[in-house]
Order: sequence, then C-alpha cells, then structure tokens
Amino acid sequence: MNLRNIIFIGLVLLGVVIAMVPENTTKPYKLTAEQMLIEVQGAAEMVIADDVAHWLISKDPSLQLIDVRTPDEYQKFHLEGSLNIPLSTILSSENRDYVDQGIKMNVLYSNGTIGSHQAWMILRQLGFENNYVLQGGLNYWFDTIMNPQAPSVTSADEEFAKYDFRKAASGVFGGGNAETLTAPTANEAEKPRVIRKTKKKAPAGGC
Amino acid sequence: MKTSYMNPYLAGVLLGLVLLMAFFFSGRGLGASGAVKSVMVAAVDIVAPEHTANSHFYSKYVGEGKEPMEAWLVFEMMGVLVGGFLSGAFSGRLNWRIEHFPGITAKRRLVFAGMGGILFGFGSQLGRGCTSGSALTGMASLSVAGFVSMMAIFGTAFAMAFFVRKNWI
Amino acid sequence: MGPLIPQEIIGADWNLFIAFVIGIGFGFVLEQAGFSSSRKLAGMFYGYDTVVLKVFFTGAITAMLGLLFFSLFGWIDLNLIYVNPTFLGSAIVGGIIMGAGFIVGGFCPGTSFSAAAIGKIDGMVFIGGLFIGVFFFAEGYPLIEDFYMSGSMGPLKVSEVLGISGGVVTLLIIIAALIMFKLGELAEKRWPRAEY
Repeated sequence: MNLRNIIFIGLVLLGVVIAMVPENTTKPYKLTAEQMLIEVQGAAEMVIADDVAHWLISKDPSLQLIDVRTPDEYQKFHLEGSLNIPLSTILSSENRDYVDQGIKMNVLYSNGTIGSHQAWMILRQLGFENNYVLQGGLNYWFDTIMNPQAPSVTSADEEFAKYDFRKAASGVFGGGNAETLTAPTANEAEKPRVIRKTKKKAPAGGC
Repeated sequence: MKTSYMNPYLAGVLLGLVLLMAFFFSGRGLGASGAVKSVMVAAVDIVAPEHTANSHFYSKYVGEGKEPMEAWLVFEMMGVLVGGFLSGAFSGRLNWRIEHFPGITAKRRLVFAGMGGILFGFGSQLGRGCTSGSALTGMASLSVAGFVSMMAIFGTAFAMAFFVRKNWI
Repeated sequence: MGPLIPQEIIGADWNLFIAFVIGIGFGFVLEQAGFSSSRKLAGMFYGYDTVVLKVFFTGAITAMLGLLFFSLFGWIDLNLIYVNPTFLGSAIVGGIIMGAGFIVGGFCPGTSFSAAAIGKIDGMVFIGGLFIGVFFFAEGYPLIEDFYMSGSMGPLKVSEVLGISGGVVTLLIIIAALIMFKLGELAEKRWPRAEY
C-alpha cells in the first residue's frame, strides 16, 4: 500500500475519531490541592464588613461587589453597586471577564459565607486573582452594619469607634439606627493589593 | 531537467505539522503578506515619519515603543528564505532563472509576475491575510474568515484562468 | 499546556526565534513540494498539476486534526490561539483580488519567497509587486477604511455557525478533500504536461 493511501486512511480514521469524541471544554485547574490548602488556611481572601462599608462610602472605584445568590434573592435585596452572578453561572463565558481580571477587587457575598466561599474556591482553583469573600455575608452585614449594637459601657475604645462608624454607615445605607447622617471618616481601611495581571489574551495573528 | 519533488500528500502532512507547531509554541499560525507590510511600513517610516504618524494605516504600527520590524512574520519569512534555500540546495534546484511557459517570452512572464504581485499585495491587506495566513491558517483554526478567503481566492483564480491561459498552457 | 508562549511557559523573548525556526520548516516544505515553481502552482487551475490542492488541503486537515487532538489530550488551550476575525465584505473582495493576483502572477506571498530563495527571478519580481500593492493599500487606506472595517463578525468559527463540533467539521472537510483529490488525479491524467 503506497504512502498516499496510508495517509488517506490515516486522515479518515483520525477524522472519524475526532468527530465522535466530545470536545474538551474543561478549563484546567491551575492550583494544586496543596496550594489550595495553604491558601484556605491563610484565609487571606476574607474581607470584613467594616472595610467594605468604608469602601462603599468613600466610593472606592476599585471595589466590585458580586452577589452569588439567585436572581430572585438579588431582586429582593442587594448591596448597592453589586453585580449578580449566580453560583450556577460562574463558569460561563459571559462572566469570565468579571471573575478573571486584574483591575478590580471583587468581593463575593451571599447570605452567609457558604455560597460565596463555594464560588471563591472554584475561581481560585482556576488561578483567577483578586476575588475575595465578605466575611459573614449579608447576615452579618445586617447585624453589624445596618443595625449595629451599642457596646456595653465597659468595652474598649475601639469598640465605641467601631460602633460610631457603623451607626453612621448604616445611615448612609438606609439601615436602622440612623442617628446621624453625616458620612463617617474612619481610618483608611487597609485594602488588599489588586494583583494586576497581564491578561492571557490570545496572541495577535493575521496576514 | 527532471526534478523530483516530494510526495504532495507527505508534504501536506509536514506542512500541517509545521503549522501545528506554530500554534503550539506561539499561539498563532503562519503567514506571509504581513511581513511585506511590516517591512514596507518600516521603510516608509524612515523616509517620512510625519506621514506615518498622521495616517490611520501606518500609525498602528509606528510610534512610541513600537517596532514594526520586530514582527513574528518578519522573522518567519526570513526563515522561509533560509528553508527554501536549503531545500533547493538539497535537491539541486538552485539556479537563477526566469521560469515561464515556453510559449511566452521571459519578459512577458516578468511583467505578469509584477502585476500579479501588485494585485496580491493589495488584496492581502484588504483580506487581512494571504493563502498562508488567512486561508491555510484560518482553515486550521476553523475560522469562517479562513474558509471565505480560501473560496474567494481559489474561485476567482479558476474563473480567471481562461483569460490568462496563454501564459500557462 | 500550550500554547507555550501565551501561557508564559516559555519566555516571550523566544517568540521571534521560534518564528524564524518555524519559517525554516515552512520554506523547506514549500520548496520540497514544488511550490517554488509558478508553473506547478498555476497548473492547479488548468488541471495539469494539482499539487496545490493536495498539499494545501492535507496541510490544513493535518493542522485541524492536530489542534483538536492536542486539545483532547489537554496539551493546548484552544481559547488562547489566534482565530482570524471575520470581516465579511473585505474578506470576499480581498480574496477576489488575490485570486486574480494568483493566476496572473503565478505565486502567492509565501511561495514567492521560497521561489526567490532558489533563484527564481519571477518570484523576486512578484515580491517587488507585493510591496507596491501593499503601498497602494496603505496610501489609499482612508478611502476604503470604512469598507475594510465593515461586516465585522469577530473571530467566528465554522463550528459555531453550523452548530456542530469542530471534529465533525474536520471529518466533513476530510471527506470533501478526498473527493477533490480523486478528481484532481483524474484531471492530471486527462491533461498531462511535459516536465517542467
């Protein structure tokens, strides 16, 4: 059998195989299990509610809140300026540019921390940066920011400072104990550094 | 002079493998006309820099920090010259000649070669690629542009073959 | 996992060197296949030499299969490779002009370089023509810029348009190509030419 026929048969066989096999659309995991364990134990992805409140009040442009709950829950209430990316859609190509980027600081939140952490785990394993989890979620947000409890008289000064801040913040956000409406001037909340990454774009080509 | 060329199907497989390696290493396919454009842009920029800065076409490639000659295709085409030369040397096909159908003169061949080049140069810019960059590479990556290019180029060549047949047969 | 340079597995400084090496392979194969001869190239359109058909389609199919199989084995991420963007109007008109250039000049840019490399003066003249043609385009750009940018459909793939997988598209092309090869070989028997 001459070379030409070998090539023909080879191409046809390969063609049949590749036509029958389902296309590989999985995105590879970038972090190993060991790396993930280290990250999870370090808990560097957590951000506290007070900080988020501060950034919202000061209209920090690098903050991007992402609500990972269902659209219905999002409709009922969501934090101002947040995007709704339900957990089920977090891997879709339309949302890729939101969760895989190097410009903004994404803070994922859900009612508690489970949903937002689930989302964070997946995104982190894919190697995406700049995604964080709102500690305590909306439940904690309501309890502390929107309806802050006055500390007992024997608490430390910091507790009072925090309380004052939260009272004022809740006023801005339209919460319960709005005793003053002036925006609070809390200390500059230490922000995690946004990891600017050169986005892995497909290379240029053409003629 | 009887020349022995490689089995075309084997050559095709090798060509496909070279193209595959280009994708695998650099994430892009082959090309040719882009290298001509890069050299031309660099040349015009040396001669008339204000013209290139003001033009929608040239300004994409020149200016602060942009080096038109440091283009993937320019280096690739330099490799093509070397590779072609090596193949010619290997197969004993190196000599200066103007290859043409015996029924026409060498001069006529050169005139048509020049005209063909002008047409192809213009068309490749408009079509965003030539047979290597758009048709071959495009088809390999399953791009619609690749197939459209391929059909337009080959279709037109077939259609026009009748009118220039005296040059070839 | 490839592509190696966009994934930063190999440094970007290697890119131009790799381009050079790939070019050597490209030029070698082109010349070995006989693409340095304008009479062989033009023969495609008169039936006496269908080398263009065979090499071109076998090459495209091999690379298509290669990409899909590499992706299957997890060796390449197909989202990161360049897919030529489709600008319908300019692709068609550009293709028509190139087709005319092909049959008039007997070369395309890649083959003209491999021809020039072995001393073909008609190849060199063709290259000269290329520069002039590109220059005309560059200078006349303001006139056709709007047309050039029209009909943008993005990096559209055939598999997306037809709603079938890349593998099925490849198989269909293989079948179509085999039919064309058969026809090509019949044509060569019908219209033989003396060796050139």
